[in-house]
Amino acid sequence: MGMMEKMDELSATGAREYLTFRLDQEEYGIDILKVQEIRGYEPPTRVANAPNFIKGVVNLRGTIVPIVDMRLKFNCAKADYDSFTVVIILNLRHRIVGIVVDSVSDVMELPPEALKAAPDIESVIDSGAVMGLGSLGERMLILLDIERLMSAPDMGLVSSGE
Amino acid sequence: MAETHQDSGGGGDIDLSQFYQIFFEEAGENLDLMETMLLNLNLETADDEELNGIFRCAHSVKGGAATFGFADVAELTHKMESLLDRLRRHELQPNAAMVDVLLESADASRSLLARHQTGDTSPAAPTGDLVMRIADLAAGNAPPPPVAKPVAAVVAAKPATPVVAGQRQLEIKVGPLAKPEQADAIAELFRDIPGLGTIQALSSDRKDYRVFAVDTASTDDDLLDLFTFHVAREQIEIRPAAVMTPVPVAPVEDASHGFFDGAPGAPEIATAPAAVEAGFGFFDGAPGAPVSAPEVSVVPVVEVQGVAKTVAKAAASQAAQPEAATIRVAISKVDQLINLVGELVITQAMLAQNSRALDPAVYQQLLTGLADLDRNTRDLQESVMSIRMIPMSIVFSRFPRMLRDLAGKLGKKVDFVTQGEATELDKGLVEKITDPLTHLVRNSCDHGIEMPADRLAAGKPETGTITLSASHQGGSIVIEVRDDGKGLSREKILKKAKERGMDVSDQMSDADVWGLIFAPGFSTADVVTDVSGRGVGMDVVKRNIAALNGTVEIDSAEGFGMRVAVRLPLTLAIMDGMSVGVGDEVYILPLSSVVESFQVKSDAVSTVGQGSQLVKVRDEYMPVIELEKVFQVPRFDFDKNSDIMVVVEADGSRVVLLVDELLGQQQVVVKNLESNYRKVPNVSGATILGDGKVALILDTGALVRRSRH
Amino acid sequence: MPVILAVDDSPSMRKMVSFTLLGAGYQVVEAVDGQDAYEKAQGQSFDLVLTDQNMPRMDGLGLTRKLRDHPQFKTTPILMLTTESSDLMKQAGRAAGATGWLVKPFDPAKLLDVIKKVIR
Repeated sequence: MGMMEKMDELSATGAREYLTFRLDQEEYGIDILKVQEIRGYEPPTRVANAPNFIKGVVNLRGTIVPIVDMRLKFNCAKADYDSFTVVIILNLRHRIVGIVVDSVSDVMELPPEALKAAPDIESVIDSGAVMGLGSLGERMLILLDIERLMSAPDMGLVSSGE
Repeated sequence: MAETHQDSGGGGDIDLSQFYQIFFEEAGENLDLMETMLLNLNLETADDEELNGIFRCAHSVKGGAATFGFADVAELTHKMESLLDRLRRHELQPNAAMVDVLLESADASRSLLARHQTGDTSPAAPTGDLVMRIADLAAGNAPPPPVAKPVAAVVAAKPATPVVAGQRQLEIKVGPLAKPEQADAIAELFRDIPGLGTIQALSSDRKDYRVFAVDTASTDDDLLDLFTFHVAREQIEIRPAAVMTPVPVAPVEDASHGFFDGAPGAPEIATAPAAVEAGFGFFDGAPGAPVSAPEVSVVPVVEVQGVAKTVAKAAASQAAQPEAATIRVAISKVDQLINLVGELVITQAMLAQNSRALDPAVYQQLLTGLADLDRNTRDLQESVMSIRMIPMSIVFSRFPRMLRDLAGKLGKKVDFVTQGEATELDKGLVEKITDPLTHLVRNSCDHGIEMPADRLAAGKPETGTITLSASHQGGSIVIEVRDDGKGLSREKILKKAKERGMDVSDQMSDADVWGLIFAPGFSTADVVTDVSGRGVGMDVVKRNIAALNGTVEIDSAEGFGMRVAVRLPLTLAIMDGMSVGVGDEVYILPLSSVVESFQVKSDAVSTVGQGSQLVKVRDEYMPVIELEKVFQVPRFDFDKNSDIMVVVEADGSRVVLLVDELLGQQQVVVKNLESNYRKVPNVSGATILGDGKVALILDTGALVRRSRH
Repeated sequence: MPVILAVDDSPSMRKMVSFTLLGAGYQVVEAVDGQDAYEKAQGQSFDLVLTDQNMPRMDGLGLTRKLRDHPQFKTTPILMLTTESSDLMKQAGRAAGATGWLVKPFDPAKLLDVIKKVIR
C-alpha cells in the first residue's frame, strides 16, 4: 500500500489512540487496539534454530506466546534484561506475540490533522511498515503498521507456505 | 432479476434482522440435506418419503426467504418447490436432468444466501437460465388425465354429507392395478376396522383404476399405512373430495387470509365487509372463531376410536429436526473449556506431586481425596476432549457430489464407497485434512480410474470404485483412499524421475518408487487436465499431512489400483509425558513412545561414517540422537553431560535419545506452538510445567525419521 | 395472560413468531412439528394454536384434526399458516376444523392483528 493510501486510511478513521514506545533513538506509535497488555520480562523458553532476536516462548495464562526482541532485530545499541525491561503483548489478526522494546511511554490520541506522510523516513524499521508521522507538540512519532511488520517474512514468525 | 432484498413491509417495530443468522444456518442445513437426498434418490423407485422430504427442504427455505425479505432466493426456491411438488404428487417421474437442475439450483441458492449474509453488493450470478430449465422440466410431462371430473359428476348426485368436525371427505384413487380386485380389499378395511369411516366405490373411467369416496377422521398417512397392506403406496392417490358445500368465506378478495364462516372460533362476520384486511381468514363457526351472528349449533363430535394402527409409523428420518439431541456451541467456548480443564489437570498434578512426601498414616483422608480427584479429573478430561471430536462422515460428506460432477465431466463411471464414517477426530484436524483428501480423491478419479471403454477392455467392470475409509489404529487415525483404477506405473515414474535428473535406480523398491511422486512438480499425467492440477498436488499433500505430524504411504499394483494411507496422530490435548533434562533445559517425551532408559556404557557405542553413532542394546543396533546437538542446547556447566540413553519407538522404528537426566513423569497439557509461532522441526507442541515455565514436547516420529538419513 | 402454541419446523420462523408474540404480551410454547405440538397439548391448555402446514411427522392438517378430537381443544382457535391460498387448501383446512388461515409470508403486525380477533 502506498504512503498516500496509508495516510488516507489513517485520516479516514478519525482520531485514534496510539501506544508509544522507544526503540533506540526514535519514538514509535502503534494502534492501541492491537495491544493486549504490557508485562515485565521473564526469561522465555528457548526454541532451537530460531533467529537470535526470537528469544523463545512464554506461557501467557495458558497460551504459548513467542517473544521477539525488537532491539536485537533492529540492531539497537544494547539489549539488557532487567526488572525494567518491558514486553508489549500484541493481539494481531493471526497471532498473539510479545515484543521487547526499550521503554513504553504513554497512550496518545492523534487527530487526523496531526498526521503527516513520511516518504523518506530513515528509521531502523523497514519503511514498508511505516504508515506516517504523527506530531503533537514537540513530539514526533513514527506510526507503524504493526500487523504488517510482524507478519513480514524476516520477522521469522510466519513459516513459508503460510 | 428481482430486487435482492427488501424488508418485509410494515414490520412495525419488530426488527427481523435479528433472525437472519438463524435463518441462514437453517437454510444452509436444508440445502445440504436436499443435496444429500437428491444424490441418494433412486430414480426408478423414488420413495414418497424421500420426495416429500426433498420438497419440504425447498419449501422451508422458500418460506423463510420470503418472510425475511430475500426475494431472489424465494423466487428460485419457489420454482424448485413447484417442480418438487409435481414430483411428490407423482405427476412427473424423476429423472437425471431434474436432479441435475435441482442440484445446481441448490448451489445457486446457497451462493445467493451467502451474498446476503456477507452483504456482498456485487451483481449476482443470473438465475434466469436455471429457472427456465426448471420450468421446462416441470412442464415436460402432461399431467395425468383428470379422472376427478367424471367422478365429480357422479358424486354430485349423492347426498352431500354434513361436514362433521374431525371428519373429512376424501376421494381415493387406486391404480394402475394389474388386478383391480386388489382394491376391493381396501373397501373391506373399512368394514373390518370400527371407526375408520365409510367408503363408497365410485365409477372410474379407466379399467385399471378404482375410485372411492371416503369419509374418515383418519390422517392420510394412517390410511396409506393401512392400504399398503394390499396395494403399493405409489398406486394410491388421496385427495380431498372434489365437491364440497361452498365455503362461506368472509367477503375478502385478497387471497392472503380468511375465516371459515361457521368454523369454531371464527370471528363475527359483519354484513359489511369490515374484515378486508389482507392475509388471513377465519372459518366461520369453526371452534374458537370469533362469534358470528347466527349462532351455529355445536356440531356433534364423532367419537373416534383409535384406528387400528397395525403399522408402526416410521418417524421421518430427516436429520433436519434433531432439536432435542444437539445444541450449538461456539468453538471458542469449547476451547476455553478445554483450556480450563487443562489448567485443572496441571494443578491436580502439582498437588499429587507435593503430597507424595506426606506421611500416609497421618494424612490418609487427604491422600484418599487426592486419589479421587485424580480419577475425577481424568474422567472430566476425557469427556471434554470428546466434545471436540466429530465423526469423519462430516469430512466424507462433500465427496459424493464432487465425484458425481467430476466423473460426469471426465466421462467416467465411478462408485463412491465410504467406511468408518463414525470414526471420530478432532475438529481442528478435520479442517486441515479436507484439502489433502480432496486432492487424493480427485487424483484417483482423474488419473486412477480409467475410461469405461478402457476398463471393459481390461476385463474390469465399467464402473470404477473409489473407497474412502477411516479407522483408529493405536494412537492414530488412519484414512485411506483406495481405487481400482490403473494404479501407478513404475516404469513411467522412473523414467520421469530420470528426466528430471533425480537420483534413482532401477533397483529401487516399489515403495521408494511410489515415494518419488511426492517430489515437487512431479506429475506423470499424459495430459494435464485443469481438474487435478499440474502436478502441484502430491508434494503439497505430503507437506500438509506432515504439518499435522502425520505420514502418507502409497501402495499400488499396476492395472489393479492404488491405495494412499494417511496416518494422523489423534490430537490429545493432555498426554502422559516423561520430562528429561538437557543442559538447563527441560524437554518432554510422549510416554507412549518411551521403551526404556539406561545409563550409557561407552563401549556399547560405536561411531559409523559421517559422525553418526549406533548403540547396541541387547542384540539390536539403534541410531543415537544427541538432543544437545539437535536442539543446539547451550552448555554452561561442563561437569554435566549427556549420559542417559532413552530408547524411543515411533513410526515403526527405534532410536536412542541422549539426555542429561530423567526428571520425572507427569501428565502434561499439550499446547499448540503454531497458533502464535510456527512449526518447529522435531517439536510437536509445548506444555506448561508446574512452575509455570514452558517446555517443548518432542516429536519422536520426526526424530526417528531424521535418523534414517 | 393468554398462552399460544406456535408450531413450525423452521427454527427461524418459530423464533420470529415467538418474539413477536412475546413482545405483545402473550406467553408462547413452541413445537417443532404436529406430533410435538400434540404431545405438548396433553400437558396444558392453550388459548390459541398457530401452526404451519408442511411439517414432518404430522402436518398442520393432521394436528388440527387431532386437536379437534381432543375434549380440551374442541373450540380453541386454530390458525393455519400456509404459503398458498388455494381453494383446495381452504377446504382441507375447514374440513380439518381449523378456525382460519394466514398466508405466509406475513408481517408480524398482521399476525398480531389476526390473533387479536380470535383470542379471548
